Amino acid sequence: MAELQRGRIDAAWDLFLDRYRRLIFAAIRHYAQDYDDVMDVFARVCESLREADLKRLRTFIAQPTHTARFSTWLVTVVRNLTIDWFRHRDGRRRLSTVAAELPPLRRRIFEHVFLHKRSHVEAYELMRSADCVGLSFGQFLVEVSATYRAVGDGRRGRILRELGGPAPPIPDTDDASDTVSERREELEDALSALSPEERVAVELYVVEEMPAESVAKVVGWPNAKAVYNHVYRALAAMRTRLSTLDGAGRPTSGKT
Amino acid sequence: MTDSDLDRLRGYFHTGEIPVATPHCLEAETVAALAEGTLDAEARARALKHVATCLHCRGAVASVTAALADGPITHEIDVVEGRRRRGRPVLRVAVPLAAAATVLLLLWSPTNDTPGMHRGVGTQNRDVVPVPVGPIGAVANVHSLTWTRVIGSDRYRVTLFDARGGVLYEREVNDTTAALPDSVRLIPGQPYLWKVHARTGWDRWSASELVEFTIARGPPQ
Repeated sequence: MAELQRGRIDAAWDLFLDRYRRLIFAAIRHYAQDYDDVMDVFARVCESLREADLKRLRTFIAQPTHTARFSTWLVTVVRNLTIDWFRHRDGRRRLSTVAAELPPLRRRIFEHVFLHKRSHVEAYELMRSADCVGLSFGQFLVEVSATYRAVGDGRRGRILRELGGPAPPIPDTDDASDTVSERREELEDALSALSPEERVAVELYVVEEMPAESVAKVVGWPNAKAVYNHVYRALAAMRTRLSTLDGAGRPTSGKT
Repeated sequence: MTDSDLDRLRGYFHTGEIPVATPHCLEAETVAALAEGTLDAEARARALKHVATCLHCRGAVASVTAALADGPITHEIDVVEGRRRRGRPVLRVAVPLAAAATVLLLLWSPTNDTPGMHRGVGTQNRDVVPVPVGPIGAVANVHSLTWTRVIGSDRYRVTLFDARGGVLYEREVNDTTAALPDSVRLIPGQPYLWKVHARTGWDRWSASELVEFTIARGPPQ
């Protein structure tokens, strides 16, 4: 810090790297396991942090007050840079090697969802028209779920989960894609009735599968028990609300 | 609610959409503060309002929270924040003991039997080992440790011990000076020792001799 304030950029960088190198590596290794990937991402992190005479570090330090510790901020920055590196640079080529180990149908799903960042519905429509895949949407979702599990279990699992989002559960019905879309709209309606804290808690606990203690910390509730209470109450309210709507999202009572 | 109920709900939530950052997305510091639970109530309410409808930020908060619970990351954060020292448990005990033994041997050795004198600096080969320049002997104040450059060396590791061999400060630097941080409080009249290693190849280090200094006591008030 003192070196930065004196304008001794190189000295400040040396001191920074000396102190935080191991933390940076630990954060990168949380997402990337292959040695080459780790070293390439480390180079990218250093390049980014050194840009414009350590602009990122200077900006953080220049703030009069801080809401997070420097080390947590650094982990967040390294996380963002790691994900970006996998999304935009050599990572795409390396991720493609994962697809080579999959059966043809799942390989196509992997390419659509993980590499080309298409939604499941988009991927389904594309594969049905271009690849002449004769699956129902429900059967397709079973394959999607299996693809997530196959790539998420490997050494690159964590970064792939970051790129593709949480794995969908295997659907227990053979829904058509339009029915699924309608359900999501209904769900969005039900979610919008919750307070932001409740909604975030439900999403972090149910979708992201975060531990209740961690959810409590994020939303500012006292403990895990408060999360269970709020989330299960919110889910019950949502279920009631969803059950009062028909498939098209209209109220089931009072219809004319 | 059973696990299968939760699974079904999870299925409804899962859109398969890949989240994209927008200009309204949270700054890294806000994501970090949410994950560690240090935002004040007002700022947290503002941030959660955004996270409630932003897949990108929700994923980032979940991801950073998971990273902060990861053992190696937790360990390194503890180390940089001074709650834990680097090294394995055995080394944490063995290294100070070994350092203490080394210091005692050197302090009591026949070559060091002249009080107030440090061993000859000029006896070392300056090209292959670093030579401590200062502080040495009795000094008025100490803000940094300085040594000579070793040709071909790109890294130096300097270690400061107290008289019992406890490591007070250790740092790796590229330069031939290491500034002592304010957290290292040196007491006037107490003897301290330090040495520096120069990296001369892959995992090869050459060590200076151990030198002693003392901060002179000020005149009595």
